[in-house]
Amino acid sequence: MLHAIKKLFKSNYLFTLGVIICLAWILAAVFAPFIAPYDPIAQDITLRLQPPSPEHWFGTDSFGQDIFSRVIYGGRYSLLAGCLTVVIAGIIGTFYGAIAGYVGGTTDNVMMRISEMILSFPSLILAMIINAVMGSNLFNTMFALVIVAWPTYARLMRSVVLSVKENEYVTASEALGASKLRILVKEIIPNSISSVLIMATTDIGNQILMFSTLSFLGLGSAPPTPEWGMMVSDGVDYFNKFWVAGFPGLAIFTMAVGANFIGDGLRDLLDPKLRKQF
Amino acid sequence: MKKKLLAAVLCLAMALTTVACGSSNTTDSTESSADQTTGDTASSGESGSNTVVVAMGSGFSTLDPGYVYEKYPPLVINACYENLFKFYTNDGAPEPCLADTYEFSEDGLTLTVNLKQDVTFASGNPMTSADVAFSINRCKNLQGNPSFICDTIESIETPDDYTVVFHLTQQDSAILSKLTYSSLAVLDSEVVKANGGTDAEDASTTDTAQDYLNTTSAGSGMYVMTSYIPDQEVVLEKNPNYWGEATNVDKYILQIQPDSNTQMMTLSTGDIDIAMNMTDDTMAELEGQENVALINAPTKTVGFVMMNMNEEYGGPVSDPQVQLAIRKALNYENFKTICGEGTTTPYSIIQVGFMGSKGEKAADYTNVEEAKQILADAGYPDGFDIDMTVTDLDMEGVPLTDLAQLIKSDLAQIGINVNIVSEPWAAGYGDAYRDGTLGFTVMYWATDYNDPNVQLEFLPGKTVGLRAGWTEEMDPELSALYDEAMAATDNDARIAVLEQIQDDTYENGPFIMVAQAPAHIAYNTRLEGVTNSDPYSLDLTLINIVE
Repeated sequence: MLHAIKKLFKSNYLFTLGVIICLAWILAAVFAPFIAPYDPIAQDITLRLQPPSPEHWFGTDSFGQDIFSRVIYGGRYSLLAGCLTVVIAGIIGTFYGAIAGYVGGTTDNVMMRISEMILSFPSLILAMIINAVMGSNLFNTMFALVIVAWPTYARLMRSVVLSVKENEYVTASEALGASKLRILVKEIIPNSISSVLIMATTDIGNQILMFSTLSFLGLGSAPPTPEWGMMVSDGVDYFNKFWVAGFPGLAIFTMAVGANFIGDGLRDLLDPKLRKQF
Repeated sequence: MKKKLLAAVLCLAMALTTVACGSSNTTDSTESSADQTTGDTASSGESGSNTVVVAMGSGFSTLDPGYVYEKYPPLVINACYENLFKFYTNDGAPEPCLADTYEFSEDGLTLTVNLKQDVTFASGNPMTSADVAFSINRCKNLQGNPSFICDTIESIETPDDYTVVFHLTQQDSAILSKLTYSSLAVLDSEVVKANGGTDAEDASTTDTAQDYLNTTSAGSGMYVMTSYIPDQEVVLEKNPNYWGEATNVDKYILQIQPDSNTQMMTLSTGDIDIAMNMTDDTMAELEGQENVALINAPTKTVGFVMMNMNEEYGGPVSDPQVQLAIRKALNYENFKTICGEGTTTPYSIIQVGFMGSKGEKAADYTNVEEAKQILADAGYPDGFDIDMTVTDLDMEGVPLTDLAQLIKSDLAQIGINVNIVSEPWAAGYGDAYRDGTLGFTVMYWATDYNDPNVQLEFLPGKTVGLRAGWTEEMDPELSALYDEAMAATDNDARIAVLEQIQDDTYENGPFIMVAQAPAHIAYNTRLEGVTNSDPYSLDLTLINIVE
């Protein structure tokens, strides 16, 4: 495995780039208080809308807050939202899909129809509705993202489980008298999980984008929390001051691209069959 | 490798979608109306240069005077209809328009108005006292949003064709200002009745004239509405039967363009003549441009901090000493910077520009050290933590959350840690605000009609006062001034009471007025007479084309 990862770094430059970008963002987020030169919510109205300068690398926004510091802190929210959403949605989806696929019959039917009901809504609109009803804060935004994201995982898991459960080792366990729960946890899930993992890594980038979109629309934490999407939306009012929206926009872009590169590379590593297909 | 490149491009596209998606809710309609602009001006260019195109930020739900209660309808109604009284200047008192002379009875409960005798409607019908009584009774009986304006009018008598007598339920010093309001515009009763209008007591269910009045006007004003496409445009053409002296503009096209950047660009290309909704930033773009003039003026829309007097909701901010500390700690100059040029902070609860206003708050009012001391004396030497609820509304283009951020930053200096909680208007904020259960918030107030008496609602026991849990018992002296202000019909007496009220609320009470939002208007210099108007947004009857 370690050897394969080394090979991946050598052969896949985009994967390497993705890892570097994401690592940089993670480090920036973790060590934000040491890196950021200013308090991200400290206002100085006399210095509002300053263009980038040696004192303020990314300029200042309409309240005179330092955009560089805000972008560094902002990584915390985007990373947290992206990763946590994928992990929670992945876990819910995995178990839901595995149960539906393994038990089969009416249970399968009912469970999958429920998940399709959620899938049939446009995901962004659904997330907005959930957020508007529950009130907008960081937790509710993530909750909305999870609600929207888990059915995709459930469907994927179910389709994999349907083929895995026909394998001889499953039949063997059944013949040996193992309980259904034991078979599900010990045999089926471990043998189906790789496709979910692949999907989860590529999904992180998407979730970061979704989160930014929602906070752009005003459905996230309350200001002055430094959230990238919200910072972009602040900048929309300042048409000719590119740095206000530009730098947080660039942050969203690099983070999403980095996460996608990693997802791509991991897919190549974990699923050689898929790579050959392309 | 190609696939990777494709992935990278797709990511870029997705990142861009984030921006595009989000802004779509504000710009979508703009784009469509921008298309509209190019189409229309092409045609208006052909029809001659005496056409003026005005862009305004929002539409209206109706243009039937009996129902209008939004920001921009008065702009249209003022051009197409006339009232008994009118504000000819922005900070003056109401002057007779269709009225000729007027007189209050000694007890202030009867107002007798003699009408001008040579006025005709656009239809050619003469204007008589019957039309006045019909219009005001109709507004009252429709029981729409603006009907409250007639609350103090008990009955209307018309002894002859040119005399109207108003019997009032109580002394009401604001009655002349109320009679200038668009909802009490004088309608051509013959035409309106022929199209389903009625002023009977059951008018709210039997009146069917709204559809008619949404497509054309039936007044005596300088213009006649010839077309109205909701959320797109209104066309006004000159009234051929106008009884007074008209300006030289033959036609107005009023377009709805919500986005100020679009307005800025269409104004610089000459597609529109007046842009009503500029921002500080778009104004800066236009500065120095040939043929463009700019207006920055304070409106009477005011943003205020509300601290609930009821300890159950307000917690520490219900303490008058804490309220005073907060008042001293806020940096009002910063509010002016954020809201833009033309912003002003009123002395106390009555806005600058109203009769009797004591003007602006002194620029050196803020005193952080004193605020800290007061807070310490009140028993909070280390400050406290408090939630501030803010809703998703704009004060004339300034988001309330922007005001909240300033407050948070200012109060941090005296140790009060404000946690901003955003709550959509529809998802509970609106109800909580009206029920008076919000503890600490920042809101804005747009005046219903152009009279300082609307501000008296901020007194204890009145509508807004109660929203802050401020009951009459808490300040009986101040409450008594309300009745005094309502009873004074003489201007000097009114000013004296209003000044007293401003002094008494200067450092007392649960409200802090932080900023009067500015109006930013830009217009083509081929026009003269363009001014910011509080009652009408823009008075079209004052604008001429300079040849």
